[in-house]
Amino acid sequence: MNCRQYNDAIQELVDGTLGAIRRAELEQHLGQCEDCRKLLADLTKIRDVARTFERLTPPDRAWLQIAGRLRQAGRIQSAAATADSRYQRYAILAIAAALLLAVAGSLFVLLPRFRGGEASPAPSSAQQTNRGNAAGDDAVQSVETEFRLAEQHYQNAIAKLEEAAHSNQSAIDPQTAAMLQKNLQIIDQAIAESRSALKAEPQSVPARDSLFEGLRRKVGLLQDTIALMNEMRKGNAAGAAQIVEGANKS
Amino acid sequence: MASSKVTGHPAARAAQQPGRSDEMALVERCRRGDLMAFEEVYRTHAGRLYSLTCRMLGNPADAEDLLQEIFLAAHRKLETFRGESALGTWLYRLATNLCLDHLRSRAGRANQVTDALDDERAIPTVGRRGLADQSVTKMDLERALARLPEGCRAAFILHDVEGLEHREVAEVLGIAEGTSKSQVHKARLRLRALLSGE
Repeated sequence: MNCRQYNDAIQELVDGTLGAIRRAELEQHLGQCEDCRKLLADLTKIRDVARTFERLTPPDRAWLQIAGRLRQAGRIQSAAATADSRYQRYAILAIAAALLLAVAGSLFVLLPRFRGGEASPAPSSAQQTNRGNAAGDDAVQSVETEFRLAEQHYQNAIAKLEEAAHSNQSAIDPQTAAMLQKNLQIIDQAIAESRSALKAEPQSVPARDSLFEGLRRKVGLLQDTIALMNEMRKGNAAGAAQIVEGANKS
Repeated sequence: MASSKVTGHPAARAAQQPGRSDEMALVERCRRGDLMAFEEVYRTHAGRLYSLTCRMLGNPADAEDLLQEIFLAAHRKLETFRGESALGTWLYRLATNLCLDHLRSRAGRANQVTDALDDERAIPTVGRRGLADQSVTKMDLERALARLPEGCRAAFILHDVEGLEHREVAEVLGIAEGTSKSQVHKARLRLRALLSGE
């Protein structure tokens, strides 16, 4: 008996593609041939075991590395650049608007103190100690020096943050950038008014406090801006929203 | 009797693709540099491609490296994807070619898919008992699989493990449907010989 002619039929039976006529023919042969029955049983066993192979799962780091390499190669656009869809565009604008509200809200209390002659700083403790003694003069000088050092510290931080924000500006679209710029201008205005008040009343503690508050807010806004740019570049609207939430709480 | 249809294979069912228009929309987003869209492609296909690369290369560390190369190459080549085949099939083809390239670079051989096909006429003979009542575990089969020629190993993995039909295996490997059948059949006969210790 020539079993070779049945080999293809046996394989097709295992595949599940053997037609009815050839199948009947094969079954007749199998009834008489033990070798072909064994071949069919073995190939079926192999196929059945192969079907039980599990789907393997790549480690989580694989995707992170792929995403990192795509970013590194410049193949991923920032969220702003890919924001053709209105939804994404409006989401970014809403984030910027929320930042504006957070900043404007914080400055609401800050600005009026020095407007229209309302600036009426209470006599400071430094002023009081200044009256007619040398020790008081030393104390004033010391406070003055510390104030200048602290202001310089803030200015250095602001310069570095402004540089970083400027070099990353391509991460956000022009409208968002304009809104953030407007926020900074509001803070700068508050800082300038605090400086004017301090010039008129150099020992005014509220004026100094207001100036530091303005500088602190500027540092905070610049930090938030840079973080927001990073999240937008990653296309992470949720991360950007978190930054806004944080800005609102600060 | 072996009678179940290949299309009933669980892996084949899992491989069912979303609508072609949805797929093209996803591809379009990937082309525009949308990382979230590409992550969706990755999450859908990474498991199947990682399983394929692991079994083709026989080494999880190499498979992980190659998986990265597959998806980076896919991102570059998405420009050329026209939707003539399903995205999954297209990715399988890319992955299989990269697997074969990798194996050939290991062996320092040429660079054609068909070079890896099993052209040997002589399949090792098996004694009359065959596998008889011998149990075949997954581990036994994985080990034997690693010893197959690359081309018929790829065809066997795609057909018997992943559940693709011969038409799809042919499309992935860039070969004729009849060649896919003969490669899978040769793979089974070689596996039988290896498992029976001949």
